This record gives sequence, C-alpha cells and structure tokens, in this order.
Amino acid sequence: MLTALLGKNYARRQLLKKTTSAVMKEYLQKPFPNKKDLISDIEIVSLDFETTGLNPEKDSIVSIGLVKISKLGINLQSSSHQLISTNENLPETSVVIHQITDNQLANGINIDAALPNLLKILSGKVLLAHNMKTELGFINKMCHKLYGTDFIIPVIDTQFLAKRSFERQGRPYKNNELRLFNLRQSFNMPAYKAHNALMDAIATAELFLAMVQKMSPENNARLSDFLS
Amino acid sequence: MEIELIEIRDFIAQHPPFDTLDETALNNLPKKLTIRYFRQGSVFPDALVETKSLYIVRTGAIELRNEHEQLIDKLAEGDIYLVDEQVDKFSNKLKGICVEDSLVYLLGYEDLALLQNQYSEFNRQFNQSINERLRHAVELTQSADMRDLSAMKLEVSGLTDRLPVIVDAATTIQDAAILMTSEHVSSILVTSKDKLVGLLTDRDIRTRCVATGLGYAESVSNIMSKELETVLDKTLLSDALLSMTRKKIHHLPVMKGNKPIGILTTSDVIRHLSTSPTLIATDIYKANSVDALKKISALLPELQLQLSLSSATAKHIGEVFSSITDAITCRLLELAEKLYGAAPVDYVWAAGGSQARNEQTSHTDQDNALIISDKLQPEHDEYFKKLADFVCDGLDACGYIYCPGDAMASNSQWRQPLKIWIKNFSHWINSPEPKALMLSSIFFDLRPVYGTFSLFNQLQDTVLKQTKKNELFISHMVGNALTHQPPLGFFRNFVMVQDDKHKHTLDIKHRGVVPIVDIARVIALDNGINATNTVERLDAAFECNALSAEMHGNLIDALEYIGSLRIRHQAKQIRAGLSPDNYLPPDELTGLEKNHLKDSFSIIKTMQQFFESRYPSSSMR
Repeated sequence: MLTALLGKNYARRQLLKKTTSAVMKEYLQKPFPNKKDLISDIEIVSLDFETTGLNPEKDSIVSIGLVKISKLGINLQSSSHQLISTNENLPETSVVIHQITDNQLANGINIDAALPNLLKILSGKVLLAHNMKTELGFINKMCHKLYGTDFIIPVIDTQFLAKRSFERQGRPYKNNELRLFNLRQSFNMPAYKAHNALMDAIATAELFLAMVQKMSPENNARLSDFLS
Repeated sequence: MEIELIEIRDFIAQHPPFDTLDETALNNLPKKLTIRYFRQGSVFPDALVETKSLYIVRTGAIELRNEHEQLIDKLAEGDIYLVDEQVDKFSNKLKGICVEDSLVYLLGYEDLALLQNQYSEFNRQFNQSINERLRHAVELTQSADMRDLSAMKLEVSGLTDRLPVIVDAATTIQDAAILMTSEHVSSILVTSKDKLVGLLTDRDIRTRCVATGLGYAESVSNIMSKELETVLDKTLLSDALLSMTRKKIHHLPVMKGNKPIGILTTSDVIRHLSTSPTLIATDIYKANSVDALKKISALLPELQLQLSLSSATAKHIGEVFSSITDAITCRLLELAEKLYGAAPVDYVWAAGGSQARNEQTSHTDQDNALIISDKLQPEHDEYFKKLADFVCDGLDACGYIYCPGDAMASNSQWRQPLKIWIKNFSHWINSPEPKALMLSSIFFDLRPVYGTFSLFNQLQDTVLKQTKKNELFISHMVGNALTHQPPLGFFRNFVMVQDDKHKHTLDIKHRGVVPIVDIARVIALDNGINATNTVERLDAAFECNALSAEMHGNLIDALEYIGSLRIRHQAKQIRAGLSPDNYLPPDELTGLEKNHLKDSFSIIKTMQQFFESRYPSSSMR
C-alpha cells in the first residue's frame, strides 16, 4: 500500500537502509526509471523461468531465460539462457558466475550462484514477464532465503496488459485467450516451436512491443502506462 | 551460440542471401540481431533506429513507395531492406508503410559489412538484390503509362468534387437534417462567424440526438463533433488516408487556408483508389473500333500486376476485371448496333461463368448467351447472328478466347427467345444428365450485361422457382460439385499435377477455387438465392441459415486465401513476360504459406464431406 502511494523508488531507498546483504545493496543502489519517462527510453528485461511447479516454497527453478529491450528493440546480443541445477547437494554460494566452468554451465549451476548475476542484470531496470506471479514469487523467495530481504522492482506484465485491454473495451474474455501463444496469434506473430525459457522471454518481449505499438502508434507512451 | 536461438537462425538461413552463409556465420548471426515490431499503418523505418541497418522481415508486409507515391516494392516474409545513404542512395528516398503488423530483424551495419567482406557469394547476391530493386524502381518511374495508375499521388483537392454543405452553429438539428436530405449528403460542416467549428454526420444525429432523446429543435452545436481533424487541399491522398485510418475517422474536412472547400470521406477514397480501372473503363466507352478495344485490353495484364502489387484482394480484382469485360462487351454491342442498326425486337446479352460471378482475372475464355424477346420472328435471326458474331469475334480479338465448349451467343443454341430458354432450363433441371450439369456451371451463373434486363429477370425467376428445394436436382448438382477434390493427401501432403506440362504444380483453380464456387452455386439454387458472386452467395446462404457461421467464415477465408495466391502467382508470371495460368508450384510458397494453403484445402474437404452426408444420393452417382 505504502509502495503504491510513494512509489517503488521510495520503497527501494527504505530497503537499502535496512539490508545488510552486499548483493542486495548493490542491486538497490541504482534508482529505478522514472514513471514519467517515455517507454522508448526505458531499459527493460524480459524474463522467463522454467520451474518444476508453481509454488516457490516447494518447487525450484530449472532454467532462466532473459533478453533486454532498449529503444523498443529486442537486443538478442543480451539474450541468455541459464540452466539451473536442482541438486541441493552442491551448494556453491560463493562461486561468482563468471568463474563457472563450461561443464558446470552445461549441467546447470546452483540457483544461489545464479541469483547475484540475475540481480546485477535487473538492477535499475524494469522487469517484463507474462504472468509475473511465477517469476516474482521465486525471486522473492530466494531473496528472503539468501539475503533476508524483500525483492522489489517495477514490473510490466503482458498478461495484465491484455486483461486490462479486454476490460477497457468491455469485452468478455476466456482465460485461454490470455495465454502467450494466443495473444501472439492475435497480433499476427509467428508461433515458435521451441519452448524454453529464452524463447518464451523473447516471445513475451515481442508481444510487449506489439502492445506498445497498439497503445501508442506515435511512440509517445510513458512507462506509467504499462506498469502493473 | 545459444542453442535456444536455433529457431531464429533457421528462419534466416532459409532466405537469400543468408542461405549462402556457412554454419559458423549462421550460428553467430542471431546474437547480432535486434527485433522490432511495426504496427499496421505505421511508417517504416521509424526514428528510433540507427539509419545504417539491414532489415529482415520475419512476418508482415511493408510497402515501399518513391517520392511520386508509386509502389516500388512490397517486402514480405524473408525479404531484406537496406537503409544506408552511402551504399544505396535510392532507397533513402523511399517511404515505407507497414500494410500488416510486421516483426522485423535488424542487423547492424558493421556486422553486415563483416559478412560482406568475408563471404563473396553473400556479397554478390546481396548487391544483386539491392540493384534489382533499384532497377525496378527506375523502370517504374520512367514508364509514363504507369503514372496514371498511382492514385496515391493525387492531392485531396482532386477528390472533393463538390463544395461542402455548411450550416451555422445555431441551426436546429431538424433543419440540418432536412438540408442534408435535400442535398443528399451524409455529413455537413458547421461554422460560427465564418469559422469552422464542427462536423455533423448522419451518425451524430442517430447516436447523439435520436438515441438520447434530445429535442430536434436543439441547435446542431449540441451534437456535432467539435475537435476536428482537417487536411489542407494540397495534402497527398496517401497521407490523408493514413491519418483517417490511424485516427479511425471517416470524414475529413478539406481546407484551403482557413476556408473549408470540401469533405473527404472514406468512400471517396475507396472510389478513387480504383481510379486506374475507372480510367480504363472511360477509354473503353470512347473506343470506336475493335482495334481500339484491342489496344486497351492489352493493358489488362499490367493492371492485374499493379492491383496485386497494391495488395488489392482477390475479390476486388475479380470485380474490377469483370466490370472491364462488361464494359468491353457493352461497347462491342453498341458498335454492332451502329453497324447493323437497332435491334428489331428487345434482347438481353447475358454473361456466364466467372464474368457473371464477378470473379474474372485478366484474361479468360468467354461464356455468353443472348435472350431474345418472344416477339422474335424467323427473319430476325440473321440480325442477331451478325450481332452475336460481331461481339464474340470482338471479345476473342480482345483476348477473351472463344469458349472451348462453344457456350457463346454466336452458337444458335445459345441465342434463343425467352420461352425456349425457359423450356431448356426446365429440361436441364428435371432430367439432369452429365451434359446439362456441365452447362449448369456456365448457365446457372448468368448475369445480364446489356439490353432489356427484364427479359433476364423473368428467366431467372422461373429457374429459381424450379430449383428451390428440388431435392433430386440439387443432389445431382452436389454430386457434380464434388468431382473436383482439393489436392490434399491423407497425410496432409500436396497432391501434385501429374501431366508433363504442369508437373509438380497444384491446379489451384480447379481444385481450390472451383469446389467452393460449385458448392456456393448449389446452395444458391437450393435456396432460391439470385446472387451470382460466390462470396455474396455464401453471405446470403449464411443469412438464410443454409450455412453455419463457422463454415461461412472458413469458406470465405479459404476462397480469398487461395485467390490471393493465384493472383500473386499470375502477377509473377506477367512480370516474367509469361501468360498467366493457374498452376502453382509449391516451391513458390514459404513454409507458413504452405500450411495456410493446406488449411484452406482442409476446409474445402470438410465442406465437401458435409454436403456429401447431407445429400447422400449425390455420392451414389
């Protein structure tokens, strides 16, 4: 509630004062983008997790796919796909991501090792996902476990935007219509055969670009028009 | 590379010039791309992107026009487009508009240069494709004949053919409505002290006055639209159209300085976008000899090419070409009457087949009939024979070759008084035999073109009365309609044409278009529907519950899709200097298009199965 009134940057500064974790401090250091900025000026990270289930308490992350959007272009150079090892017997909390061997990369690394890198990428950015609950829930749980603090970030959720658009038009919809695949089809976008975290992150990012163009053909929409 | 980007790599790898690259280069490519999305109607490229880039269209369609608003090229899936002033001065002057929602990949200039340096075959093909576009653009610009075809370079002032009707803001709604009625306009401008303050349309009166119960004695200022978009008289039609589409408005006041000089409406625009066919029709009515008509009809393949490049639908192209054939037919009849004198008794010239259905493409064979008043005397036959020969010979000279089945008015069998026509049709309907069924596809699609239309209407009324709910006849017609099956095998593979001339092609007319046309005809006859156009027949069938909403929508989509592939295939042949045919090599299609085409064929199959089960006796024949 307080966050809603005072904004994410206020909440970020409060958290920054409280946290003792170095990783978290670094993540929270960078201000979030201004809500009034043009959406075309915002750096956005489209994120997708593949998980063993929907419950962050019981389930675990299998892979992380992400890609950055800047100037309303999806920059594939920035794309990455990280397999996560679910084997809890290999705690490597101290391993920083760039020290990981190729072999470990292929077999996946521990989530404890992957999270700091993810936070580094997300710092100061806006997070984009389709049905945000999963991604946010898992990151939040991991942040509590590892750093003893809440996770916070401005979020854009393409599923929320679709739902809002249907509601604004007063058009009833089926839950099925809110699926990434079906929404993409309604925007004349290709159906990707592969389903992995990275392709889904790219698919979500493309859908988001289409939604931006639909809402503001002149490219003059603000970040606040899209935030959840 | 990230193995997950394989899908993007595979897409790029299919398309020239990228298909010349080796594995390593292809694997490295996806990571160098940026993905952008452009909405239908938006300008391409936009300011957000660096000027030096190569665009690769993933999905969608983009039209490129030069400074004269001529269509230079249309980019579709897999096409590339380079924006760079050093390398390609010409492209820089081109303006692009996305005519469909488009997803594009961008390759940075430096990455492109690296590929060009490293791979000589890539470099050669790349330059060639850029040069081809340049050459095509130059050819177009130089061709004077083409210039008329570009309606898009018109200024809006050329379209507003009447002064706007103007009322004062204090006028009552009723007075305004009276004025609109007497002036036959659907929109008027509202001024206050000579200043334009609003626009009032039929719709405003309906939604803001009648529907809300507002008194008719209130002033128009209560219900008019106040925040007006206007255009200046010198604005290009294409720009005006773009802003109408974008802002979803149908009326646009045209201003000369501060003074309104007209209202541009969407229907004006649509009417004038077909200016070139209109021009051709005007020329036809001025033509004084068969030779003159022959010259005009020589332009028709080019017109088909232009229409298909300007993304006209297959239905629209069919309408344009049928109306041109109508015009040529009428002019030939006028010339014949000039030559042989006025007809001794009334008659009507009727077109059959695709012309009757308004589904013609540039050149097909002719099907026609002459229905003469029952006052016909034996000594008149000489006159009608000369008349029919003149017209049929003239049509043949204009490229509408003689009907191979001799279904033409020059054949005495198809030149009969009304009572004989009625007798013949009754015979065909009541004892349907193979010959009659063959003729039915020509003569149950009949449309009056010239002369005394009431003769035709009498014939049609009697025919429809006899076919409506005539189960025996209809089931024979269904059986006949099922003879052409879509070329789709059990495992959804294409079944190709086997003969040597058209090996490895799909006959998309007989096995795609015709099955739908045939079924639509049966439904029309079964339900007493008098439309001849296939889409109109399907619409009417849906309205009288003879067709489910789903099947109706599917069939119309399938017909348009197959029709559009046919038009594109023919455009390609025309451009290559070949005469257009209906044999489509599947190699011309992308993977996605093949899938769409298979879907369309499946729809036809489903429809045929439905009708087969509904008229069981049809399959026993």
